[in-house]
Amino acid sequence: MSQEDRFARQLCRVLDDGTNQLDHGIAERLRAARERALLQQRAVLASSVKIGAGGTATLGGDDERHPLRMLLVILALLIGVGLTYVWNGFSQASENEEIDSALLADDLPPNAYLDKGFQAWLEQDSPSGD
Amino acid sequence: MASRPELADFLADVERRAFKQALFAVRDEDAALDIVQDSMMRLAEKYSDRPAGELPLLFQRILQNAIRDYYRRSRTRAGHFVSLSALESPEDDVSDPLDHLEIDEELNRFATPHAALLQAETLNLVEEALQNLPPRQREAFLLRYWEGLDIAATAAVMGCTEGSVKTHCSRATHALAVALEAKGLRP
Repeated sequence: MSQEDRFARQLCRVLDDGTNQLDHGIAERLRAARERALLQQRAVLASSVKIGAGGTATLGGDDERHPLRMLLVILALLIGVGLTYVWNGFSQASENEEIDSALLADDLPPNAYLDKGFQAWLEQDSPSGD
Repeated sequence: MASRPELADFLADVERRAFKQALFAVRDEDAALDIVQDSMMRLAEKYSDRPAGELPLLFQRILQNAIRDYYRRSRTRAGHFVSLSALESPEDDVSDPLDHLEIDEELNRFATPHAALLQAETLNLVEEALQNLPPRQREAFLLRYWEGLDIAATAAVMGCTEGSVKTHCSRATHALAVALEAKGLRP
């Protein structure tokens, strides 16, 4: 140990003596602060246990310490949105397919729906049909 | 993960030194207590899942940041900051007080009937000399020697290089030796 280190450690021994002679009021306030910190730890641990048991996660709070976890949550959300979009596209295509099939399979040719005369005939013919 | 008893033991061990560290820096008991309390709460709130072995380094980081935040707020409020660099050991100081280190003999006299008074006087002188150090030197000295962190850990807490830590520690030790010698306590 160098002379410098030895001197520094001697001073630290003096400082240690000083901490042992700390004013009672200050020592009590430090003890109270420590107790509050321990209660805080208990609360944090309890909330993390609840999260683990419930199998759910919340954004913010605990996750703020884990950027990777946040990234995974955001990635999962994006994948979810993407899958929903693709699924909706398939549903729409399927509906269109059904309509097309119905039109093609019908006795009436599809061009009939474009014929204005046919539309007019339908409108005139409807009351008598009732 | 640190258990409740491990955190309790750690905080009980460090709280008084932490208070003194904060007090040396901010020179106000209430502010120092607030800093220590906030640091303890932050450690418990944010780092409860860390192993017990990591607590000293984490706590010192939080504590030193809290002290620096206090400095920043004080500087903003007061518009000035007291510079204490005049108490640094001059580069061209020919006489090195550490060359005639005799503080052990002074401390050994604590065993005599004058112990209490002498100890109190010595403590006051040492604490005053520490308070008068430039903040970075004091921070390095206390982390390295009082908290017992190694040079790499001290550098990590202070956010500087290991070389800077060595320089700060060396300058702090010499400045303390000079200051104590000037007060009649031969270092």
